[in-house]
Amino acid sequence: MSRSTTVLGFPMWLARIVALLAFGAVWELTARLGLINPLFIGNPSGILAFFFKGLFVTRELVVHLLWTLAGTLAAFMLGSVTGILVGLLFVAYPKVEQFIDPIFAGLNALPRIALAPLFLLWFGLGITSKIALGFSLTFFIVLSSTVAGARSVNSDHLMLADTLGASSTQIFRRITLPSAVPTVFSGLRLGLIYALLGVIAGEIIAAQHGLGQSLTFLAGTFQINGVFAVLLLLALLGMSLTWIMTAVEARLLRWR
Amino acid sequence: MEQRIPATSVVHAAGAIDIRDVVHRFSGEVLAVSHATLHVAPGEFVSIVGPSGCGKTTLLNLLAGLLPVQEGSISVAGAAPRAGRHDVAYMLARDSLLPWLNALQNARFGAEIRNIPAQRRNARARELLTQVGLGSFEHAYPKALSQGMRQRVALARTFCLDSPILLMDEPFGALDAQTKLQLEEVLLALWTSERRTVVFITHDLSEAVALSDRVIVMSARPGTIIADIKVDLPRPRSVRALQRDARYHDIYAMIWSKLELALEGT
Repeated sequence: MSRSTTVLGFPMWLARIVALLAFGAVWELTARLGLINPLFIGNPSGILAFFFKGLFVTRELVVHLLWTLAGTLAAFMLGSVTGILVGLLFVAYPKVEQFIDPIFAGLNALPRIALAPLFLLWFGLGITSKIALGFSLTFFIVLSSTVAGARSVNSDHLMLADTLGASSTQIFRRITLPSAVPTVFSGLRLGLIYALLGVIAGEIIAAQHGLGQSLTFLAGTFQINGVFAVLLLLALLGMSLTWIMTAVEARLLRWR
Repeated sequence: MEQRIPATSVVHAAGAIDIRDVVHRFSGEVLAVSHATLHVAPGEFVSIVGPSGCGKTTLLNLLAGLLPVQEGSISVAGAAPRAGRHDVAYMLARDSLLPWLNALQNARFGAEIRNIPAQRRNARARELLTQVGLGSFEHAYPKALSQGMRQRVALARTFCLDSPILLMDEPFGALDAQTKLQLEEVLLALWTSERRTVVFITHDLSEAVALSDRVIVMSARPGTIIADIKVDLPRPRSVRALQRDARYHDIYAMIWSKLELALEGT
């Protein structure tokens, strides 16, 4: 929460809405008066009309949204589960990490979008190639946060475990794992956004469904209001995903 | 090197500690402890004081099995020191509470690690939290507790282990004077009701005199034992009441004169 809750005597939320409305009005006027060609910037009323029509009348946007969401969640689930498992494997067996790390570092350094043509070839135009791209981003993010988290164990806690006579299994389960949770969570939050990024990027390149595909189609046919409506939807989607993750995190990490 | 005593003689009450001619060097060169010999009887409360860097913590860590014995011999309840022995509990100046566990879960954590049955450790942890004055804070997480309260939880965790031997490394060293006084009272009350063997490291002489049966003075590095003084103040004691006790001040002054000798070496 922001500390100063007023701007020029107005509540912050009111000031925000006023600023947004003013910006929209200027945009609308600029387009209506032809100061800038509306073909390029669209107009807010048209964007909102497209947005609501797509969501509630034709439901076209809803269908695309569901495809994108399904791809994102699948990529996120697969990427985070394998990321955490491989991360824990690395922590438990440092030799495995030493062996694989340079290979993973190379893969992770690769601009992931460059893999898109390969994934299309392997997995086809459908949702699988999008999941693969999202996975390739989420996996490495969650993996490195898991390793970093498990390494950040407080040395006092290890000494305590030592003097208590804890077994290595007990140390892993009761100390290493819970110590890693906060760092893993920040990795998961980032991983979710990157899963969305991977899926959208995949859809933009070649797809049959999804908000990314809809974006290229609308831009290609000069439906600029549609493009902005999809961008608005994507921003709202990204914000909701982050919000959900933060809520889950706050619930699970009440002790912080 | 280590004397082995048959397991049958290691009964619960056997909390004797025997240190004989122990020498300890760091990295094979820096002499930290030089020819220390000390016997602690079962149920005795012994404090070790000395200038900082005198090797008192090294000596304690040798007893705890956190450092290997290089020269001389150490026997803790008839066996060689080993980290994680169930008849030894160790307590540090830093509370080292697990932030994701609440006060009750932290208090019973050690007992849980040592597989003390759930029902017993729960009842014991509750009872101890009440004894250290945190009965109504069972569900509070460490972040919500003050430093003094966290150290109380650590004290409860240590006592919940039911180990006949307690090794304490400046457990109240990080606390303000008032909180320290309160926790000394709590420790005295706990110890008086159970009489475990305690080796207590501190740099605070008044604390050592108020709590102990004997105060050991170590010299500056290389640390060696230069005085072993009996504190024959009657028990049960109250740390507060002792502040007005003439004999307490006499003993304090006497040990202080020895400690001054130790400090001259620094």
